[in-house]
Amino acid sequence: MSENQSLDIFQSIRKDAFGALEEASDFETVHKIEAEYIGKSGRLTKILKSLKEMSLAERKEMGSTANALKKEIEEKIKLKKEEFGERGGSNHRDADWIDITAPGKKISRGHIHPISRVLKEVTSIFESMGFEVVEGPEVETEHYNFDALNIPKEHPARDLWDTFWIKPLKNGLLLRTHTSPNQIRYMEKHQPPLRIIVPGQVFRYEASDSSHGIQFYQLEGLMVDKTTSVANFKALIEQFFKKLFKENIQMRIRPGYFPFVEPGFEVDIKDRSDKWLEVIGAGMIHPQILKNVKLDPSQWQGFAFGMGLDRITMMKYKIDDIRLFHSGDLRFIRQF
Amino acid sequence: MLFSYNWLQSFFDKKLPKPEKLAEVLTSHSFETKVLKEVGLPSGGKDIVLDIDVLPNRAHDCFSHLGIAREISVVCNIPLKIQPQQKLAIEKRKAEEFLKLDVQESDFCRRYIAGIMLGIKVGPSPSWMQERLIVLGQKPINNIVDSANYVMFELGQPLHAFDMDKLNPAKIVVRRAKEGEQIITLDNKEYKLDKSMLVIADSSDPIAIAGIKGGKKKEIDAKTKNIIIESANFEPINIRKTSQKLGLRTGASVGFENEISPALAADAIERVMALISETAGGKIVSEKIDFYPKKFKPSRISFGFKDVASLLGVKIPEKKALSILNRLRLEPKKEKGEITVMCPSERMDLARKEDVIEEIARIYGYDKIPAEIPEGVLMPVRRNDNYFYGNVIRDILVGAGFSEVYNYSFAKIGQIEIENPIAMDKKYLRMDLWNGLRMNAAQNLKYFDEIKIFEIGKIFRKAHERIIEKNKLAGVVVYKDNKKNTDVFFEIKGVIDALLSGLGISDFWFDNSPEPPINRVEIKIGNDGIGFIMSPNTFEIDLEELIRLATEEIEYRPVSKYPAMIRDIAVLVPPSTKVINVLDVIENTAGKLLIDTDLFDIYKGDELGANRKNLAFHLIFQSSEKTLSDKEVNVLIDKIIKAIEGNSDWEVRK
Repeated sequence: MSENQSLDIFQSIRKDAFGALEEASDFETVHKIEAEYIGKSGRLTKILKSLKEMSLAERKEMGSTANALKKEIEEKIKLKKEEFGERGGSNHRDADWIDITAPGKKISRGHIHPISRVLKEVTSIFESMGFEVVEGPEVETEHYNFDALNIPKEHPARDLWDTFWIKPLKNGLLLRTHTSPNQIRYMEKHQPPLRIIVPGQVFRYEASDSSHGIQFYQLEGLMVDKTTSVANFKALIEQFFKKLFKENIQMRIRPGYFPFVEPGFEVDIKDRSDKWLEVIGAGMIHPQILKNVKLDPSQWQGFAFGMGLDRITMMKYKIDDIRLFHSGDLRFIRQF
Repeated sequence: MLFSYNWLQSFFDKKLPKPEKLAEVLTSHSFETKVLKEVGLPSGGKDIVLDIDVLPNRAHDCFSHLGIAREISVVCNIPLKIQPQQKLAIEKRKAEEFLKLDVQESDFCRRYIAGIMLGIKVGPSPSWMQERLIVLGQKPINNIVDSANYVMFELGQPLHAFDMDKLNPAKIVVRRAKEGEQIITLDNKEYKLDKSMLVIADSSDPIAIAGIKGGKKKEIDAKTKNIIIESANFEPINIRKTSQKLGLRTGASVGFENEISPALAADAIERVMALISETAGGKIVSEKIDFYPKKFKPSRISFGFKDVASLLGVKIPEKKALSILNRLRLEPKKEKGEITVMCPSERMDLARKEDVIEEIARIYGYDKIPAEIPEGVLMPVRRNDNYFYGNVIRDILVGAGFSEVYNYSFAKIGQIEIENPIAMDKKYLRMDLWNGLRMNAAQNLKYFDEIKIFEIGKIFRKAHERIIEKNKLAGVVVYKDNKKNTDVFFEIKGVIDALLSGLGISDFWFDNSPEPPINRVEIKIGNDGIGFIMSPNTFEIDLEELIRLATEEIEYRPVSKYPAMIRDIAVLVPPSTKVINVLDVIENTAGKLLIDTDLFDIYKGDELGANRKNLAFHLIFQSSEKTLSDKEVNVLIDKIIKAIEGNSDWEVRK
């Protein structure tokens, strides 16, 4: 073989190999090209193997050219492999290659109860509007739960709150039926202007079903100032729903009755199935209540509201049974 | 309460809005209203039943078709029809000639009108009357009873009729029952009465439980000719108490316990006599007996338009407000910028200016009140620590793989008993959280291999006869694979470590409980217990204590410029030896160059011998002044080894 002949061979191998690699569009093809040129019986390998039959001078000359070419092809193949390797070839044996479609290693993380989650959001919205979080007892006195809120004994309005009583009855202790006693508790000790929210568990002695629980979460709100009005309440609640649901929620206010407010109203929001859902009971603080806590109704006025957090949580996450919240069932909790 | 659409329509000449539209308007301005069902009538045609959730403060006047018709008239702005006067057969005599009335309890009986009708003929009521009652779920009985019922649904006044000829002598006494006195009611049930209860009696026995239910003895039957009609007004609280004591709730008792205007009794008796005369013939004795000692005075309320604007936050045009008040029949009079209204007798809910402002607001429409962001200085909000740290704790525990559950505050056992428990396993208020969590864990093991749950909630205990309510945090870890449960105590300990250090509490330690049960381990800070581990898998911590100790203020210590040196040391000790005891010896011996000690392994194995366990520690030495030499550290290590081996049961492995 003359020198020119052999150079021609190298040039044609080079041209073929590079041409093929240039056109190769997947990992498989690159792999085939690798075998064809530098594999065990590849075209270039064969030449390298035949070197030992040549003269020393020839061997030296051809050898260095062949090895240089081999190196060049190897590098090109490597580049190509990297290119396709990243897209995930199926039978890639490269140690660095990662199957990015395989699932990540599971890091055990728990789940916050959906109501805690919503409460946190609700609270931060009210805090951003200047409302302070306040707490109150779950075992309440008849005085704070009823009498001080204009709900005297033997008044039919008491039927609105089915009550769990604590033994012995003569002590007049009960499980609070609403968070409203904290309006009184707070106003007795603080001077306006006031802006508070009171989240907490409340209790009702009634048959439970998918939309009524014997124990559920409420959030009381109270704002008292010189000019606090129904229009202010409306603005606050609109802002609240907008932030909580991150969309424009249809809302309506209609007349309602609670003995400790006047006027009293209910706030409904429209759920996804286009049904009105009652979520807030509210009103302007009754002048008698202000007098009860030694505030002058001609100086101060304000609103109070009570919100059912269970209902809001149910709406937010499309939960269909209120009893799930107290079920302790991780099949439920782990979805949040 | 159920209402008939046709009946409501009968109060108007103009056609009412369609039921759905009417329900929508009433819901926005008066009461939540649902279109319940369509009912086919025996005479052909149909009616619609509306379910109207009359608000409790309007039970005075709206537990009746007339009341709702008045509401409709106001909110839809259509006038009520003027009812034509009927010509009635009158017997010009005085009821007193036939009947003696003796009201002994004028506090409980505010008004008692007795009307008399002669020569009536008992029979079925006309079909139009029957249909209206059937639509409302009532069973027609006869023309007398049905007429009385009809008036109750129409005007809201409960009425009662007695067979006058069965009263001998014809005398009605309104008195308290005698202790143990008995009555058999119209539905043949026997009730034992006590002296707190008001009865209608003849000269000897009760003939009705006042305002609740009539008695069997003087009931109207097919032969009845002459009747006494009672249109009375009873005091609400006594009616309510009696009704609750007897477990007897009737249309009449509900009406009276919500309080009805005494003025209504007069309208109602006129109406029922006219109806009886129409359906059963007979003659009306012209002059009734009317016991009415304290006349009802309608209230008069004054306010200014500025009060309306201030409370509602919107200026409703005066003309508009006045028109609303007129429609409500409040007869507003404007004088020197003040409005004075006269409340109709049935509107017993109106007592102060706020009540009238509410009337203006709801009729005007809450949807028309604009939303207005409140003015005022925005004060920085004070943080509620309980609530704030509750969330910090949630985040730490969730990060450690725990999920949060809520359990009921009730339990099978406890110190605070419920008077009216809803279930046998909810007779008490819970006195701890961890028992509930263990039950949750057992339930959940059906579905999961690994349970890590926690709860933040209140527990209830008694101390010195007072109820103590405490916020607690509890958690439990359980694995389905029992082999994993052997190490669970240390996992719990690790969680508590993570939790307390996450809250910035570092100087806590664990102590065997001085009291049983043996598997209880106290978590202490200084000498105070803040909670416990119920070995192996449960813990419960006092949240208030924890929060009191938690501090956000982390103090920065400059990082030493000189390298730390770490040495490991392994100590063989008897199984009963506590890690803390070994740690104490190490730390007390090493001095301040030992900046940290970590226990990284506890090992028990056969090759150690039966009564041995191996504790392995990393000891970290560092000075803030210089680079420590091997020699210096070796001196300290030797000192530590010597101190450890000072205890003959302990051996340092070399």
